Amino acid sequence: MIAQIVLRDRSAFSALYDATSAKLFGVCLRVLDNRAEAEEVLQEVYIRIWHKADSYTVTGHSPMTWLITVARNLSIDRLRKRKTKTKPIDDAVELADDRPGPEAEAIASSERAQIEACMTELDPRHAEAVKRVYLGGETYNDLAEAQNVPLNTMRTWLRRSLLKLRECLTR
Amino acid sequence: MSDPEDEYGDSTLAAEYVLRLLDPSEHASFEERLKDDPQLRRLVHDWEAHFAPIAGEIAPVAPPPRAKQSINAALHGEAKPSRAWSWGWFTGFGSLAAAAVAAFLIFAPILNPPDLTPSFQAELAAPDGSLVVTAGVIPATHEIVLDRVVGAAPPGRVLELWLIAEGATAPVSLGLLAAEGTTRIVVPDDIAPGVRTGTIALSDEPPGGSPTGAPTGTILATGTFVDL
Repeated sequence: MIAQIVLRDRSAFSALYDATSAKLFGVCLRVLDNRAEAEEVLQEVYIRIWHKADSYTVTGHSPMTWLITVARNLSIDRLRKRKTKTKPIDDAVELADDRPGPEAEAIASSERAQIEACMTELDPRHAEAVKRVYLGGETYNDLAEAQNVPLNTMRTWLRRSLLKLRECLTR
Repeated sequence: MSDPEDEYGDSTLAAEYVLRLLDPSEHASFEERLKDDPQLRRLVHDWEAHFAPIAGEIAPVAPPPRAKQSINAALHGEAKPSRAWSWGWFTGFGSLAAAAVAAFLIFAPILNPPDLTPSFQAELAAPDGSLVVTAGVIPATHEIVLDRVVGAAPPGRVLELWLIAEGATAPVSLGLLAAEGTTRIVVPDDIAPGVRTGTIALSDEPPGGSPTGAPTGTILATGTFVDL
């Protein structure tokens, strides 16, 4: 159907929106924690999808992976624009939400199981940090302040965790 | 943030890029490198795919109807939802069933896109048959889809695909083959017209591809396209 969107098929686009907008709106909301901004970014996301559907095939991603990546990145861009000073960690949106959404299956459950299994091999604080970064758009600065460690220490920790994660994911 | 990058390597750097952890200057120089480093793009791609499932835990939240209207207004200049048949097509279902049906409708064409079948194909074969790769071209997307049938790159080397267009004086690199599975390479618009009548070739190159922009290793296999 993304292929049809490349061909400017509006009904395909409409169906794609109906099937995926709730999930992507959820992603925007999680990152931005602000409905009005999330709504604006959601619009940017679908406008991007309409115009960039042709580049989708290049990425080789599964459709949902591509859509989530676009939604997440545009949300982070918006967050960074807005952010003039670091957000206190207490304001960070709640991260633990284990309810599987109806689209949970849209990303191969094996992929999800893999990242989840690998995250559990990390120091829990670091796994939490990776999640905060991915879903909350936190920076090294935010993380360092929250954990009360120097910036470079934070970066070293996280990079070690990323190395470990990579090692686990390619196992 | 002046840690040496080497200790952690490009994979970690790619992960930081995907997570948007790099500072603006690092981010910019990474993007600069991405432009002509297929290996690096591969790393970014892999991390995107690894991290996206983290969003699986996020519960869907229905956006207000005006969001869709605004998108349509922006894209198609419509103030009201389109009259297309599909509007409200899914609304009669229970939400779970609708999501399942819609997901099927959406993903099924991707798995078997009718209009994206290769229309010409080449077989790249080594003279001794030790390496055979098929290449199909999808004109609509300017993609070459490559599958290794026999053989692989020599240990510690990678396979790089080249195009020698008819009348051209030098080969142009089209990209690297993945170590496993199918590789899809998008040919830039300016050289795409030369693919059908040109010769394509595979050479073995150091990891990351030819450092010079011309083949540096052995040309292992060549082929030309025929219409399907």
